[in-house]
Amino acid sequence: MHAEIAWLDLSNRRRSLIGYCLGMAVYALAVVAMYPAFRTSTSLDKLIQSDSTAAALFGVTGRISSSGGWLNGNIYANFLPLIMLLLTIGYGAACLAGQDEDGTLGPLAVLPVRRTAIVVQKSAAMAAQAAVLAVTVAVLVIIGRSFQLDVSVANVASISAAVLLMSLDFGMVAMAAGALTGRRGAAIGTGTTVAAASYLISSLAPVVSWIQPGRYASLFYWSVGKSQISHGVSPGDYTVLIVTGLCALAVTVLAFRRLDLH
Amino acid sequence: MTAAIKTSGLCKNYGPTRAVIELDLVVEPGQVFAFLGPNGAGKTTTIRMLLALQRPSSGRAAVLGLDSGKDSVEIHRRIGYLPGELTLYPRMTGQQHIGWHARARGLRDLSLAAALAERFNAVLDRPTRELSKGNRQKIGLVLAFMSRPELLVLDEPTSGLDPLMRSEFARLAREVVAEGATVFWSSHELDEVQRLADRVAIIKQGRLLTTETVEGLRESAPQTVHARFTRPVAASLFAGIDGVSVTSCDGCAIQLQVTGAIGPLLRVIAGHDPVDFTCRHAGLDELFLAYYREPAAPESSHAR
Repeated sequence: MHAEIAWLDLSNRRRSLIGYCLGMAVYALAVVAMYPAFRTSTSLDKLIQSDSTAAALFGVTGRISSSGGWLNGNIYANFLPLIMLLLTIGYGAACLAGQDEDGTLGPLAVLPVRRTAIVVQKSAAMAAQAAVLAVTVAVLVIIGRSFQLDVSVANVASISAAVLLMSLDFGMVAMAAGALTGRRGAAIGTGTTVAAASYLISSLAPVVSWIQPGRYASLFYWSVGKSQISHGVSPGDYTVLIVTGLCALAVTVLAFRRLDLH
Repeated sequence: MTAAIKTSGLCKNYGPTRAVIELDLVVEPGQVFAFLGPNGAGKTTTIRMLLALQRPSSGRAAVLGLDSGKDSVEIHRRIGYLPGELTLYPRMTGQQHIGWHARARGLRDLSLAAALAERFNAVLDRPTRELSKGNRQKIGLVLAFMSRPELLVLDEPTSGLDPLMRSEFARLAREVVAEGATVFWSSHELDEVQRLADRVAIIKQGRLLTTETVEGLRESAPQTVHARFTRPVAASLFAGIDGVSVTSCDGCAIQLQVTGAIGPLLRVIAGHDPVDFTCRHAGLDELFLAYYREPAAPESSHAR
């Protein structure tokens, strides 16, 4: 067996993936197309600067009328991660625990393939789906340079990769919770809770002093929380995001090898 | 010859619930082996342990001479499996299921799958969500048999099939056994078991009650005796005879169950002026039901 399990999942989810991509493409196009109307809006900058807490909650740092601030505040710091987390946490919870609950995992697990390979193929399918979505948005943002957005292709590529890695991390957390419990609800709950906490910590850290030390524990901080759209993603950021994903993958493999299936 | 299936002291606990208890089972190759038991007896849990879907709490299981846990990939390569509650992907057609399973198992020759589909009259060109349970079950049977496995593990394989297709399944099972395969078959259908199985194991509340050939079970089945006399008789006349139990006694008529030799009973009956006498072996149905109705084991157990 080469990648039949991954192909099966990708094939069965192609419709929903197309829906995700179309929806995000329309949204991203609208955001970049509207930028020329806001780039000279000093009043919007004043409004944001007057309420730093609200700005922090929406992930806006610096001037929102700048290209980086506009993309961060409208796409990369909130909406894109939210949609990608819906995709990865949803798939992470469904692909092991969900399939076991609906009875399709047992027949798959009696194929001549190791359980480790099943997890690896499911992880690859999740990465492929999330990558298609991230690339779709990145392409639209790069097209947005013709709408006066001053952002480098390298920075768009790197922050897209960082958001992709972060969403995979949370998806793997959901998958690991599913492998540990065998329950889809527990997997979705765990993935969502960890992601929400991570978002809040990263967003509020700039304005709430006692949360600030905790920002290092937030994956949002390492992917979008340091204005990576303007400054690029550092090797340290990538390392944290990749190591976290690999740890979650290892936990998933160990748990799934011990999970009783139906 | 290596046993197709061998378990030693196999146990499965779900918390305090004991689903399978000290199961010692041997299934010789080249036979249809029926695994019988009421709902919740532990049949499906046993099958899941044999296939490494679930880990035993204790004990060992070997399939085709291989350790069910350590060698699961090799075992899976050589078996066909039909789960008790078959779930197919609703948007995929039967043909897409067959194609995918063939690729996943590395099968290039799909001629057997096509022949099986034709034999079962399986609907392959419509999404499985549009099919009846029986039609989905036919696809499940094709998937289980299409790789010419050495061992077929079938959990309630005839569930949802009409009588014609049940007969077709029975013929197919006999054919693959004639070619050297082994069929391990969990069922509730006692009529089919009597017609098809070479050996039978009965499990109840996680414990194996008996393993026997169908003929052996028939021979060991108790005989039911009806006798009528010219005068009323007392039940106590018969109660003391070895292997005899009084089922009912109504004045001149008495019904008894006899296990073993019938001679001592005949001598007592002959001495009391009988006017009518019949004797028949219990059917397997009655035998199975008698096993099922036996009092619960002392330990509380319940299988999934």
